[in-house]
Amino acid sequence: MRILLIEDDLRLVESLGERLREAGFALDVSTDGAEGLYAGEEFPIDLAIIDLGLPKLSGLDVIRALRERGRDFPILILTARSDWQDKVAGLEAGADDYLTKPFQPEELIARVNALLRRAGGHARPKVELGPVTLDLAAQRVWRGDEEIELTSYEYKVLNYLVMHPGEVVTKTELSEHIYEEDADRDSNVIEVFIGRLRRKLDPDGSLNPIETLRGRGYRLAVGIAP
Amino acid sequence: MPSASLRNRAILAAVPVLAFALGLVGMAVDAANERVAVAALRDRMETTVYAVLAAMEVADDGAFTVAGDFADPRLLQPGSGLYVEVQGARDRWRSPSSLGRAWPELDAVMAGQTVFAEPPGTGGHYVFRYGIGWQREDGAIEPFTVSVLVDAAEIARQTSAFRQGLWLSLLLAAGILVFAQGVILLWVFRPLRRVAQDVERIESGQAERLADDYPRELEPLARNVNRLLATEKSNQERIRNALDSLAHSLKTPLAVIRANLSRDGAASGDSVQDAVDEMQHLVATRLERAGRSARRTLAAPVAVRGPVLRVVRSLHKVHSQKMIEADVTLDESLRFYGEERDLLELAGNLLDNAFKYGRSRVRVGGRAIRSKSARPGLELVIEDDGPGIDADQRERLLQRGVRGDERVEGHGLGLAIVRELVDAYGGALDIRESDLGGARVAVTIPPG
Repeated sequence: MRILLIEDDLRLVESLGERLREAGFALDVSTDGAEGLYAGEEFPIDLAIIDLGLPKLSGLDVIRALRERGRDFPILILTARSDWQDKVAGLEAGADDYLTKPFQPEELIARVNALLRRAGGHARPKVELGPVTLDLAAQRVWRGDEEIELTSYEYKVLNYLVMHPGEVVTKTELSEHIYEEDADRDSNVIEVFIGRLRRKLDPDGSLNPIETLRGRGYRLAVGIAP
Repeated sequence: MPSASLRNRAILAAVPVLAFALGLVGMAVDAANERVAVAALRDRMETTVYAVLAAMEVADDGAFTVAGDFADPRLLQPGSGLYVEVQGARDRWRSPSSLGRAWPELDAVMAGQTVFAEPPGTGGHYVFRYGIGWQREDGAIEPFTVSVLVDAAEIARQTSAFRQGLWLSLLLAAGILVFAQGVILLWVFRPLRRVAQDVERIESGQAERLADDYPRELEPLARNVNRLLATEKSNQERIRNALDSLAHSLKTPLAVIRANLSRDGAASGDSVQDAVDEMQHLVATRLERAGRSARRTLAAPVAVRGPVLRVVRSLHKVHSQKMIEADVTLDESLRFYGEERDLLELAGNLLDNAFKYGRSRVRVGGRAIRSKSARPGLELVIEDDGPGIDADQRERLLQRGVRGDERVEGHGLGLAIVRELVDAYGGALDIRESDLGGARVAVTIPPG
């Protein structure tokens, strides 16, 4: 999943960026409101983390502009203090959740995951795909009682498909959402990830969890979609 | 340069008004008096004419005599100021008083006519003249003109004596009025001087507040000054307490960090992390609240329902997975006398806990607390159907400087912020069990 972080405190950007990348997110960073609004409008973002006190364009204005232009990905706001006036204003402008500084990076990642789950229509962090169980919070996958080891990119691909159940997802879309904007993308790699995922999730070929729609893309099998 | 005192202003304004008004009165009374005096004189002169006519004897040839014993002895005394002349066709008689005096030129007056003339233009005299036709025995009419002259100085003497008395008494009246006004103003302004003295006493530390027994007009002033003083005092105390407790509380985690650093050179991850967490929490709860000014003494009231609904809508969004049913029964007319951000902070923290811990229901109620005071108080009650807060936990939460939850995000932090705010407003916080099954937190802001 691809996250846009709009934050002007470079130390915070550095430490949060590291933690978010470790947690498996593709990350775009903007350090002012105007740049952030551009990124939010132009890039295929799955979630934005926006600080309310930003140079050039305030966080509130960025949120309003994004919502006016029909961008409906979840937005998490960071407020400097436990200040309800700011929180309410941010949520009214179109944000979905808030986090007050200072916060633990774990808290931020938990909120981000919860927002992404909500946006994907999953109320609880555990998602069941037939015999396969995904724990979206812990980023672990089981087949029955046996845990399946996935690489970071394999997990990202699976996660994106789970967040868009029943939808056809193209290779381009997948690569856009698992890689950052300036990454060197190769859509053939996606095919490799899909192949490996199929073998790991469904070693005996009975489940066919990921359908290929020729020339169009992939879809989480309707029969097992949560 | 300070502007003139209120009393001096009032007196300065009164003096020209008084002078003008009393001057007009004096002039009117003086003119009226002179008219009365002249009219009386005319009557007297007419009487004199009749007396002279009564004393006249006219012979058949028209010669006449005037008997010498007049009622008015002044006619006999030369230069007395009262002179009479009787002018016949051939003959003329003048009173002895006119001896040696030059007479003005006077025309004859037709029989039956009277003429009254005043100075100037009459040689300094008031002149009353009466024309009469005397019927002789042969039937012929003998014309006479009786003229009475009175020296103008007589009236001048009378009126100037009156005028002197008049102006003297008016001046006295003006003096009494100005003096009385000064005394009245002194009395009227005495409470203001008392306010000034009381404020001085407060400044010098001899008193803590203004008294309650000022006149009605000054009551709002005294009330607001007292409120201002109370707010300032509570703000000072709050800041001092918060900073004291912050300084004290930071010592322990800092000591932990130092101990760890000195023990093994590199910081021991977990304990440093815990200490840093605690410091962050302290800064969030104590330092930030202390720096924020709470109660604006003369703030305009804010409607309660609107901000509460905004918070509820925001929290519905944040906790959209929970399907919480929020029942807000606040009246439109309910007001909070303070800053809107403080109201949002109160409602935000309490409702955040309610949404976080409630299972499916949250209830917000409130009422105005009315008293004789101009600004009613507010009771805001927030309930949920969550697990509630244990009795001993409640007691701990209500104690100063104790947080209810070790985690930063919990009932504890929100309630700690709420309690700081409630303290700043001189209010009370009450935690008990709701009939919904969870916690019921009531904030009471007293009337002020």
